[in-house]
Amino acid sequence: MARGKAKDGDGNWKKFIWNSEKKELLGRTGGSWFKILLFYVIFYGCLAGIFIGTIQVMLLTVSEFEPKYQDRVAPPGLTQVPQVQKTEISFTASDPKSFELYVRNIEKFLNDYKADQQTENIIFEECGDIPADYKERGLYNDAQGQKKVCKFKREWLENCSGINDPTFGYGYGKPCILIKLNRIIGFKPKAPANETLPPDLTTKYHPYLIPVHCTAKRDEDADKIGTVEYYGMGGYPGFGLQYYPYYGKLLQPRYLQPLVAVQFTNLTYDMEVRVECKAYGQNIQYSDKDRFQGRFDIKFDIKSS
Amino acid sequence: MSPKGKAAGKGRGRREKLEDMKKEMDMDDHKLDLKDLEIKYSTSVTKGLSPPAASERLLRDGPNELRPPKGTPEWLKFGRQLAGGLQCLMWVAALICLIAYGVQEGEGQRGSADNLYLAVALIAVVMVTGCFGYYQEFKSTNIIASFKNLVPQQATVIRDGEKLQVNANELVVGDLVEIKGGDRVPADIRVIMAQGCKVDNSSLTGESEPQTRSPECSHESPLETRNIAFFSTMCLEGTALGTVINTGDRTIIGRIASLASGVDNEQTPIAIEIEHFVDIIAGLAILFGATFFVVAMLIGYPFLRAMVFFMAIVVAYVPEGLLATVTVCLSLTAKRLARKNCVVKNLEAVETLGSTSTICSDKTGTLTQNRMTVAHLWFDNHIHSADTTEDQSGQSFDQSSETWTMLSRVIALCNRAQFKPGQDNVPIAKRDVIGDASETALLKFAEASMGPVGTLRDQYPKVLELPFNSSNKFQVSVHAAGERQLLVLKGAPERVLERCSHVLLKGQDLPLDPQWTEAFEGAYAELGGRGERVLGFCSRWLPAGSVAPDQDPEELPALASGLCFSGLVSMIDPPRATVPQAVLKCRTAGIRVIMVTGDHPITAKAIASAVGIISEGSETPEEVAARMRVPLERVDPRQARARVVTGAELAAMTPQDLEGLLRTHPEMVFARTSPQQKLVIVESCQRLGSIVAVTGDGVNDSPALKKADIGVAMGIAGSDAAKNAADMILLDDNFASIVTGVEQGRLIFDNLKKSIAYTLTKNIPELTPYLIYITASIPLPLGCITILFIELCTDIFPSVSLAYERAESDIMHLKPRDPRRDRLVNEPLAAYSYFQIGAIQSFAGFCDYFVAMAQEGWWPEQCLGLRAQWEDPHEQELQDSYGQQWTFWQRRWQQYTCYTVFFISIEMCQVADCLIRKSRRLSLLQQGPCRNRILVLAIVFQVCIGCFLCYCPGMAHIFNFMPIRFQWWFVPMPFGLLILIYDEIRKLGVRRHPGSWWDRELYY
Repeated sequence: MARGKAKDGDGNWKKFIWNSEKKELLGRTGGSWFKILLFYVIFYGCLAGIFIGTIQVMLLTVSEFEPKYQDRVAPPGLTQVPQVQKTEISFTASDPKSFELYVRNIEKFLNDYKADQQTENIIFEECGDIPADYKERGLYNDAQGQKKVCKFKREWLENCSGINDPTFGYGYGKPCILIKLNRIIGFKPKAPANETLPPDLTTKYHPYLIPVHCTAKRDEDADKIGTVEYYGMGGYPGFGLQYYPYYGKLLQPRYLQPLVAVQFTNLTYDMEVRVECKAYGQNIQYSDKDRFQGRFDIKFDIKSS
Repeated sequence: MSPKGKAAGKGRGRREKLEDMKKEMDMDDHKLDLKDLEIKYSTSVTKGLSPPAASERLLRDGPNELRPPKGTPEWLKFGRQLAGGLQCLMWVAALICLIAYGVQEGEGQRGSADNLYLAVALIAVVMVTGCFGYYQEFKSTNIIASFKNLVPQQATVIRDGEKLQVNANELVVGDLVEIKGGDRVPADIRVIMAQGCKVDNSSLTGESEPQTRSPECSHESPLETRNIAFFSTMCLEGTALGTVINTGDRTIIGRIASLASGVDNEQTPIAIEIEHFVDIIAGLAILFGATFFVVAMLIGYPFLRAMVFFMAIVVAYVPEGLLATVTVCLSLTAKRLARKNCVVKNLEAVETLGSTSTICSDKTGTLTQNRMTVAHLWFDNHIHSADTTEDQSGQSFDQSSETWTMLSRVIALCNRAQFKPGQDNVPIAKRDVIGDASETALLKFAEASMGPVGTLRDQYPKVLELPFNSSNKFQVSVHAAGERQLLVLKGAPERVLERCSHVLLKGQDLPLDPQWTEAFEGAYAELGGRGERVLGFCSRWLPAGSVAPDQDPEELPALASGLCFSGLVSMIDPPRATVPQAVLKCRTAGIRVIMVTGDHPITAKAIASAVGIISEGSETPEEVAARMRVPLERVDPRQARARVVTGAELAAMTPQDLEGLLRTHPEMVFARTSPQQKLVIVESCQRLGSIVAVTGDGVNDSPALKKADIGVAMGIAGSDAAKNAADMILLDDNFASIVTGVEQGRLIFDNLKKSIAYTLTKNIPELTPYLIYITASIPLPLGCITILFIELCTDIFPSVSLAYERAESDIMHLKPRDPRRDRLVNEPLAAYSYFQIGAIQSFAGFCDYFVAMAQEGWWPEQCLGLRAQWEDPHEQELQDSYGQQWTFWQRRWQQYTCYTVFFISIEMCQVADCLIRKSRRLSLLQQGPCRNRILVLAIVFQVCIGCFLCYCPGMAHIFNFMPIRFQWWFVPMPFGLLILIYDEIRKLGVRRHPGSWWDRELYY
């Protein structure tokens, strides 16, 4: 507060800080400080009360189970495991240390997908081995307690399941990545129309499937990515619709996102190869700004030694 | 708004220069005889220079004109606009942004151009406000420039014996020039030949008494001698031929003018206020920034991030739009004043007038009409008042007496003045007259009171006349009147009476008796005591043929004896009609009006009494002495409210004496003062803590005008030098305009206070998001670009519109503000804006922010500590409160939504803020919520811009504005209402309990 300064102009700072004649600290006496501080305590007390009250009232209007709006979060992002910095996977096949991090990341992620984790029948249910229609589980509240969750069998991921190959192909220079669609409450991805799919995918079309497909990001890399293997439920390279919609972490705390594992069996070594993976669906869109909406791209750099 | 420079320490230098100037005037040209003069200037006093010689000298000496005071170079002026305290902070902020951007680029983090973007925006802001300020300054300089060269002055010069008309600025030393009545003397001239030449030296000395110019050297001092006519003085009548001895800046006027430009301007009060306040803001901004820089470092942010925080806090806290707002407010008032005939040269001067506590006013032309007018007549042993108003609507005295008939005839006939032809449709008072001031006054008086003088003069054709001269002190003429001749005489009353044997009383010729003589003495003393110039009139019938047209006029005085006295006429330069009221207004407004004039003390006092500078019932010490019949020395000066001080008395005083006098006597008149003394008076007033306005028109006033806190020059009568030195120009030369200026100045001070309070308030809701962001690590609620939009786009209009707010109370009944106590930005204003209204706005913003976050899936408790993950560009699956996963850009859009929501909250609260700022004391309802139309418009406009920014497609990508949900507009509204209600309570308390704790702490 500038009162002291205003009074003495450039004057005596020391005197302003403590004026021993008038017993003033920063231009006010003790009593004056007490009064003004009391005023502000009351003032801010009331304000904080109003603020907290308003926030509480607002929270009452917000449902615990279902967000009021999802216009920012949908359409969903497409993400991969292992989660990597700068979206780059770089390792040497002969050096386990170089890919240890990726392997541990995938292993940790797949922990929830182990068969022994999906034994409780109260929580999990069998949803078939082939893609099927949405599984509606009623209203978004806990009137009927928690909602059931579809099982996802780790075996479906075959070479990328880590059951046979604990290095997920990294040890052989054939890295696996797991692809999943971000969880959005109530979001029901629509299977793409057959004719809109790229020619590579039409063969794998299924009416209850959100297919995933990986290609070279740049055209000149097209011959460098080699063959790409897809492992998903029932051998389909995509997400079955019966896993949707998601009911939120309160109603489905152990929800398992459907996964697709992608293995690059013949990547060119010793150079950066950019791969773009896309999920296809009528209500899955892509954005120029958000590179992770409905697709993502990842860089492989496998060193031969 | 650049500081105008420092005056400290230069006072002595100027004083020395003044002394120098006196010495420099020791020129000897007036003492030389013509031969020596010809040799000195290698010219001829008959044929003048040859044209080649003239052009050669023109090349050597430069044009004959006053060089305008050396201005600051334009680039420097512009540079100053960019280097103010706040601007420097902005530069630092921009630099930090650039560094941050550079480092990020260096680290290879692509796509984070935000910092570059912000740096560019900040630089643009500084440049734009700089250009704006420069433009304003440039515009007001131009107003003055337009005064010059209005009419290119012409001069008659003789070169090679041929008369030429040339532009006055082409004159050179040695040129032979001719001047005649009505001309402005084109250079300093040594007079060689003159015929009845009279000049008005008022622009040099301030005294408008006509002075004769003739070839003889009559005085040692060049300023007093008759044979030198000075540049820019007026030649009133007659003709003269002379050699140019000085041109341009080397003329006497030029030297005074350059002296004035040597006097540095005082910093205006508003500039001091703003500097004071900018210092505080800048200091606080750095303090805040530094504190949070340290806090951020302690919390563990990397150095660069902490620097960016510092930058963001500076941007949030500095009111970027404030200086522009102040400039606009001032220029709006300046425009308003210009419509009322006050042109302001320096925008800040608008407010200076409002804080003025003393006006040192010149008399002639400012308080008075600057023309002699017949004020009283004495005939039939009775004093009659004549009409002295500006329009001369009519005479109200009794005109039925035969004495009047005779007197008016004498007035009309014994008068050499005449109207210029072709002015029949012009009102008498405004007609141009050839002749000196008193004769003009008499002529106009006669024309106005008895009809066309020309007809009367035709009826009594002039036979012979002897003009006024200083030895006779009268003027006499003889007119044919059928078979008789009429001798009429006017002159100094005592001289006139000497020649009279009779007196005309109600048409009767009565012999003079002692009783009547006593009455005459009484009337003469009374009129003289009123400071009026008194003339006596008398006449005598002569037989036909007494005087022949070819007679020597010098014989006339012999004939003029045994005359019949008809009456006295007294003249004065009467006060302007509006002045007494204006002085009264000043007085109620607590402003002291001091008259400083070069005129006689008696006249000065008379005018001072007439206009109320010396109020009714106030006595000077002399009057007290006379009333109490005690010697002057025994009068207690405190008994006398008024005091008239002459220049001679002043010269004998020390500055302390003068200050003592100024303290003791509230009503002061200074008469017979010199330019230097004017300066001394102004300085004494300033030492007493007054903010002094000085009015003046002459070159001699220019140092005082410059020294004053605000110099007011006269637009019509003022010399260029005075206009150059002044801060303000009265186009109608009317003192009453100053009062308007004072009123506007006070209003703008109040309104600036409101405007600044409004502007400062939002800095808190701009700052708090950062503070919370740093300390509680929530996702950033408000971005820097958005802040710049609030500062420079949406909030500019309402803050400017507050300048249109009308006064809350009769501001002209309050004392002038005490510049040391009543600051523009005081503690209650800052505390109330920052810690109360600003706090409410912050809460409103956060409330809306949390609502927007919660409704999109991020509950308040989850927001805390979320920052690091939220801002991690590689985190593409961040879980919200419902378990949904967000990519980085989805979070970004959400963040921009929050910016917009916070922005709208601030806007909504600022609407309420704008409404409460309309009045500081009165209830909003008393002040009238819609009475200021511009303000209402500004609010509507502000909301429209807000809508545009939100909903115009593409804004998200350019300026980080997102279309927000309709209901988020309403969340802050209860807080807006709270602001309105809380402020009403505050005002109620302030009104109900003046002087209470509440009033002291909350009234700003």
